[in-house]
Amino acid sequence: MNEYVLKTNQLSKRFKGLTALDKVNLSIRKGSIYGFIGQNGAGKSTLIRIVTGLAFPSEGTIELFGASEEQALIQARKRVGSIIESPALFTHMTASENLEVNRILRGIPGKDCVHRMLEQVGLQGAGKKKVKNFSLGMKQRLGLAIALLGDPEFLILDEPTNGLDPMGVVEMRELLKRLNRELGITILISSHILSELHLMASHYGIIHHGRLLEQLTAEELDEKCQQYVYIKVDNPSMATTVIQNELGTADFEVMQDGSIKLYSRIEQPGKVSSALFSAGLEIEKFMPMGEDLESYFTKRIGGNLHV
Amino acid sequence: MYNLLRVEFFKLRKNRSFWSLLFALSVLSLAYPLLYYFDHRSSGVPQITGAEFLTTFISSNSYIIKFGVAILAGIFISNEYSTGVMKTIASSGNTRGRLFTAKLIVFSVGSMAISLVFPIVSTVEVTLLSGFGQLPVESTVLFIPRAFGLTLLYTAGYAAIGALFTVILVDSGKTIGFSMIFFLMIDTIMASLSSKVAFFATLYDFSIFKLVGNIGKPLIDSGDVPALLLVPLLTFVIAGTLGMLVFRRKEIK
Repeated sequence: MNEYVLKTNQLSKRFKGLTALDKVNLSIRKGSIYGFIGQNGAGKSTLIRIVTGLAFPSEGTIELFGASEEQALIQARKRVGSIIESPALFTHMTASENLEVNRILRGIPGKDCVHRMLEQVGLQGAGKKKVKNFSLGMKQRLGLAIALLGDPEFLILDEPTNGLDPMGVVEMRELLKRLNRELGITILISSHILSELHLMASHYGIIHHGRLLEQLTAEELDEKCQQYVYIKVDNPSMATTVIQNELGTADFEVMQDGSIKLYSRIEQPGKVSSALFSAGLEIEKFMPMGEDLESYFTKRIGGNLHV
Repeated sequence: MYNLLRVEFFKLRKNRSFWSLLFALSVLSLAYPLLYYFDHRSSGVPQITGAEFLTTFISSNSYIIKFGVAILAGIFISNEYSTGVMKTIASSGNTRGRLFTAKLIVFSVGSMAISLVFPIVSTVEVTLLSGFGQLPVESTVLFIPRAFGLTLLYTAGYAAIGALFTVILVDSGKTIGFSMIFFLMIDTIMASLSSKVAFFATLYDFSIFKLVGNIGKPLIDSGDVPALLLVPLLTFVIAGTLGMLVFRRKEIK
């Protein structure tokens, strides 16, 4: 049995003079919620488009449910549901008709699933309403209902919370977590709302300028995110000298307000505070802190201001 | 493949632009013979019969075929790129070849429906007003099924060319505009080239663009029949195959 739903091997995509993906080796474990993080133009959508068969790689291969040959990949895509960039809908049709089109397209027997999917995404009362009269949030829900048709084993969602109100975002998150927990659906989700991703993803992939910088689990991220001591003293420049000379590290960051983020020696807070105190510094604040996903991501893609 | 055809027929059935086009053509097809009817009535000229109308105006139907194919190509196929629906379709786990084939078949059927509106509606109307009359003496009883059959066959040929344009141009506006200009200009261009280069003369003589004019001929020599049948079939196959090849390598945005 294949442990991974998706694996890419040295996957590259080049457009005229532009490398959109550069030798990406990504792997998504079965049953995981994989948060795919990157700035606009980082290569997220390009990779998703290749996986879903909308674009073709310049180099490298993809392995979907263990299939890598062209025909086998096409078959494997039957097990995938996706929303790519925005939900693709026939606006002149009703919600039910949109689902019906996709039901027939995927060869799903029985019309029961149409109603079931509408219910699952909270659109049970809107089945006969034309999609052109839908709000953006309703369109997102309908897009998700279409993606869920045929009970896919792998969901690929590119910015699924776009246009949703705060309650809609929460509902979407809960729905995705439930699908993952109860049905074991593996989910690849790209989103700009990193705080949202942080609340549901079990794995992360950080992509920047077409290169996959890092893949890590939520636990690993949590560990890495709790890696600094927040220090506020009366004389920051003296404190930096003390940290460098007495503690022998330059792995810290001086913020604009004069506070210091110390990224090493976090396992020795006593030694740090004692060194600062011995130098005659008045310690106003001293506490271990955790970064959030956003600041970790910013640091990881080069917004690192360590001195 | 059966499911893909069902989907395309479902979409065609739900396509309001398609029905609007059929309705508009029906209205025009009803109005056009009335102009002749009232004109002849006021001037005392004998009325045109259904048979005369059909033999005289079926050649004009080629314009409706061309415009119909161009418009339907834009609203039925190209529009799916702009709405993003093509992404869902292409990632549904079906081969691009099958997807294109299903689209081409249903698009051709839709175009065929459009192509028959004018000859059927107008001829029936004229027949009701002035009687059917007599077909030209040189034509056989097979004239009507032959004319309608060839109309369908040539429409399919044009539809395959239109479908090829949709996968190249993607945008519905561009597809409609380019197809219309292409279908209207190709005769002039081919005729002009034919007068200079013999190869183009042969090419034009055996193209649907020229042979479509023979649909309404009362009498067709038996020697001309194979070309009249094979050319639209080959056009359908060649343009369809080209369209499929382009679509297979097309990156869908």
